[in-house]
Amino acid sequence: MFVAKYTKELLVAAALIFVIAGGVVGVLGLPLGIDFTGGALTEVTYSERPEKSSVESALPREQLGEFSLRQTESDTGRSGYILRTRDLTEDERIGIDEILTTAGTDGSVDRYTSIGPVIGQELMRKAMWAIGGVALIIVLYVAFAFRGVSWPVSSWKYGLITIVALIHDVLVPTAVFSVLGVLLGAEADVLFVMALLAILGYSVNDTIVVFDRVRENLVQWRQEKKEKKDTGEETITYILTKPFDEIVGTSVQQTLARSINTSLTTLLAITALYIFGGDVTQNFALMLMAGVIAGTYSSLCIANPLLIYLGRNAGETST
Amino acid sequence: MSAQKPERKSTKPAEESSETEGIIRAFHALAVVVLGLALGFFVYSSTANDTSRFPFKLGLDLAGGSHLVYQADVSDIRPEEVPELMQVLKEVIERRVNIFGVSEPIVQVETSSFVTDETEHRLVVELPGVTDVEEAVAEIGRTPLLEFKLVDQSVLAGQQAQEQLEASASGTGAQIGNVRVNDQAVATGTDAAYIDTGLTGRYLNRAELQFGQGSGGLSNEPIVAIEFNDEGADLFEEITRENVGESLAIFLDGELMSAPTINEPIAGGSAIIQGNFSPDEARDLVQNLNFGALPVPIELESTQTIGASLGANILERGITAGAIGLSLVLVFMLLWYRLPGVVASLALLIYTLAMLALFKLIPVTLTAAGLAGFILSVGMAVDANVLVFERMKEEYRNGATSREAARNGFTRAWPAIRDGNFTSIISAVILFWFGTSLVKGFALVFGMGVLVSMISALLVTRTLLLSLPVTQQKEGTVTAKLTDSGLQR
Repeated sequence: MFVAKYTKELLVAAALIFVIAGGVVGVLGLPLGIDFTGGALTEVTYSERPEKSSVESALPREQLGEFSLRQTESDTGRSGYILRTRDLTEDERIGIDEILTTAGTDGSVDRYTSIGPVIGQELMRKAMWAIGGVALIIVLYVAFAFRGVSWPVSSWKYGLITIVALIHDVLVPTAVFSVLGVLLGAEADVLFVMALLAILGYSVNDTIVVFDRVRENLVQWRQEKKEKKDTGEETITYILTKPFDEIVGTSVQQTLARSINTSLTTLLAITALYIFGGDVTQNFALMLMAGVIAGTYSSLCIANPLLIYLGRNAGETST
Repeated sequence: MSAQKPERKSTKPAEESSETEGIIRAFHALAVVVLGLALGFFVYSSTANDTSRFPFKLGLDLAGGSHLVYQADVSDIRPEEVPELMQVLKEVIERRVNIFGVSEPIVQVETSSFVTDETEHRLVVELPGVTDVEEAVAEIGRTPLLEFKLVDQSVLAGQQAQEQLEASASGTGAQIGNVRVNDQAVATGTDAAYIDTGLTGRYLNRAELQFGQGSGGLSNEPIVAIEFNDEGADLFEEITRENVGESLAIFLDGELMSAPTINEPIAGGSAIIQGNFSPDEARDLVQNLNFGALPVPIELESTQTIGASLGANILERGITAGAIGLSLVLVFMLLWYRLPGVVASLALLIYTLAMLALFKLIPVTLTAAGLAGFILSVGMAVDANVLVFERMKEEYRNGATSREAARNGFTRAWPAIRDGNFTSIISAVILFWFGTSLVKGFALVFGMGVLVSMISALLVTRTLLLSLPVTQQKEGTVTAKLTDSGLQR
């Protein structure tokens, strides 16, 4: 009943979340990694890390153009720098490697990635298509799966609500990532897009779980009323034996344990990944955590109030 | 109760039939447990044993190595020939990479798909264990690009005239500009003076080191004799027949080697490249040509190297995270769902073992992202179980026996399970299409995880659940309490 009672408040809260998250992304921006912009990333570690200024002065500034040097602690206990530059030719790379490794004690290049600008742009385009494609198919599928209960809310509206929930589920982790970008210098890379796509596919699970129960209850608590029209055709209209709000509210209550538990188990696994996994996948794990939490919240407190709102004025009820 | 069953028969057959049922059920349950043990044994032994036929296949970012992407310039090639040429390119580079002694190098053609403006043709070279990418790139760079072009005499003459003018004017401070020959501006650049014939190294059969018999001058000069394949020989004959008296320039890696005059049409497809080679240079060239000449020019577009120790470290952490994640989920299931939770835990363990076995058998190349996907799927694998259990709890609290509740739980929960997993699979399919090999690894693991978890829920959980002792909530025994789940209302 919680959902039914506080429909208005929850909708307002949802709108607020959208505004805040959208604002964060708009203001802080989403830092793009070299996977999208092209460029080169060299990670060099030392047993004793030299001063940042001495490394910077050793690099051929003119030839290199803009570059950024960031401190890093490697998993293996050594510390070093991550150098981000435009993409380098082989000879340039060899030269830079030389400069970097001799700048400190026992230096070695642990990781090097160079992406040409064409590949970068292509990746960006593919990412947009992929995200759009997944969202579209999901919405179509939901509309299709719920075609049997297109009253009092038509099945494509279920799809619409799913879109709203999806946007929320993608926006909130992205906002989290924007914050990470400012705080930790995190950059969006292929893993970021992967996390978004995984969240898309997963978070709609939750929404479907509740909608499924609504569907079941709707069938249970409606009565058919057959009318013969003047033309001799038979039409079937439905009357609900319980107000729509209550049906949805009860459905939510019944499925509360399911929703929370499925998200909880996934969260447990991902938290383990975040804490104990390597730093390559750390941001990925954090985004997934945000996504799972956002997904649960959106299924319970956004999708259902919306459903109630849309169904409120449709259809008769009789007690 | 089925209407066909006779009402008051003697109890014995009824008992027997339920006994047989019971035995069958127990048998199924046992079979499941044995399957689990077998999987466990397989995974353990093939991991512990270094020489096993089914080791885990580790991707570059876990094993360390280099990942190179070359862009092929197919602008001069007819579209229908491109796939074949890309294959030739792959083979040529593969041969080169193999002399490197890398274990299991991967050379693949990659064509980017329809959403971009132009189709890009790329060659991806993966060298596990090679962390000094310099040598690899240099070696690949040694693949020669051989081109035969006709000389456009008028353009060439114009260019030479311009150069002479500029040379004679250089001391005087005068500037030469706007030179016109036969009232046409002189085209600039080496490309303008040479016309592509389409005859390139792709038609090469073999090359041989010879010492020149010396036509008018140096004898014993090292030269490279090349032999074209049939197609090439025909093309060569055509070119020489149609252009008697013209010069045919031979370019090696973009550099002009020589431009002999065509005296007569040459059949048989043999030609000679001379360019003041030293014996060593000529020998190298012959060797390189015999490994294969590039059918199309290529350019290194992106490089990625991961140090081996970093890779091993990532792997170790991934495994730790996975083990801890698995344990957390197991503990939760046991605490919340108690007796059914034991069933779910077994199902989860079998799921994990099944996935690991599949990784080995298919085999699936594991990357850092793939590991993350696997851990994610472990958390999701219990979802189906949770859905069923929650349903079961409802039925149970409404008075059904535990077995009925279990059965109904499955039937009622199935639509939600099916729809939910379907969307996850869609995500995985699109991820697979979208991705580089890194993303493909994740998508494959994710998708497999969803499928296998559905199967494990149906097969394992259902079987074991139905073999649990039958109780009812109102009985209030320990078993009854254990079959209930969650908090008391």
